[in-house]
Amino acid sequence: MNYDWSVVWRNADVLWEGTKVTVFLAVTTMAIAIPGGIALALMRLSRIRTLSIASAVFVELFRNLPLILVIYSAYYILPVATGVRFSPIATAIVALGLNVSAYNGETFRAGIASIRQGQSEAGYALGMSRFRVMIDVILPQAVRRVLPVLASSWVSLFKDTSLVSVISVGDLAFESMRVRSQTFRVLEMLTAMAVIYWMLGYPQAKLVDWINNRYRVSE
Amino acid sequence: MSLDFSAVFTSWQFLLAGVGDTLALSALTIALSLVLGGAIGLARCYGPSGLRWALIFYIDSMRSIPVLVVLVWTYFALPIVTGVTLPPFWAAASALTVHISAYVAEIVRAGIISVRPGQSRAAFALGMSRTQAIREIILPQALVRMLPALGSILSITIKDTAIAAVIAVPEYMNRSQTVAGQSFHPIEVFLAATVVYFTIIFPVTRVVDIVYARLAYLGRS
Repeated sequence: MNYDWSVVWRNADVLWEGTKVTVFLAVTTMAIAIPGGIALALMRLSRIRTLSIASAVFVELFRNLPLILVIYSAYYILPVATGVRFSPIATAIVALGLNVSAYNGETFRAGIASIRQGQSEAGYALGMSRFRVMIDVILPQAVRRVLPVLASSWVSLFKDTSLVSVISVGDLAFESMRVRSQTFRVLEMLTAMAVIYWMLGYPQAKLVDWINNRYRVSE
Repeated sequence: MSLDFSAVFTSWQFLLAGVGDTLALSALTIALSLVLGGAIGLARCYGPSGLRWALIFYIDSMRSIPVLVVLVWTYFALPIVTGVTLPPFWAAASALTVHISAYVAEIVRAGIISVRPGQSRAAFALGMSRTQAIREIILPQALVRMLPALGSILSITIKDTAIAAVIAVPEYMNRSQTVAGQSFHPIEVFLAATVVYFTIIFPVTRVVDIVYARLAYLGRS
């Protein structure tokens, strides 16, 4: 068997472009999904029943569907439902955003619920409104507490961005597989893809472990 | 916008066979991952240090590589190295098992280290051997604490099997794509898929929650 690894170097620029798209997708999605998750958590904990039910339905729906199905559905349904033509990358961000917001919603809800009731009671005793208690007392503590979980979600998201390659978004997975089918250097390109993901993901996984140790809640 | 689900209904037998494959692939992957991941988790905690470092490297690598990449590599690149081509179903089962076992191993380890050291010290003070302490004191407590995380592995695996569609495993996602392409009614087909997947996965997460709520007291120490 002869291998020709030079194909990887010859296509380094394509792989670099793909890597940039992968990082862009992960960053943009998280930037949407953190406020999205906080909004879902606040809706869920709201006293207005409609809001709370809507949030629960949204979260349970997207947590119980395969992401690849959400991506395909978004690809076909978004243009018809909205009448707007979405680029593949915009579709990808919507699909990933829905998925990660749902997970973050549960994360924040658990984080808020984990703050002892005495904290909000103390806030009320000082004459703060429900809104101010949430913003000034509960959320700052909850965000710190959910940081390890958010970090894990980030790593999952980073890996999950590879799934948008199925709707032809030019991310690292898509570009690697495209070069593979153009050059027929299957082993070389797929191994290069795996190694690049590994090089990007490994330090992140280790960082998550570190954050987990650093911010561990001790009872 | 009017929806026409006739394509889904006329292909129901074809799609239903896909549900069968999804469930078979999920069940096989879950069974293999629990056994392999359990063994790896134990070896990661109690094995010789050389083996431990190798397993840490394996686990962290699987945490950093997307499951899509593992699937595609196993199906397309592995045959070039080994000369053996696995059928898509078995390639998917192996790739998913290799990936998910790493997560199971981490859950097992987290369960084991969650048991306070005082427990094993007490066991040693009673004259138990290391094996006895692990088997009779640590593992029973650890196992209960692993349950919710292991339960979520069930739904994660079912969701991940949908990615096997990419390597042409004729499971439900793959067959939905086929029907969507042939019928020119992708919206209806994927809406139906949403209902089907939700109907499979939601009860699994609910049952896991209910079972754990009943058993949680066993994990207190």
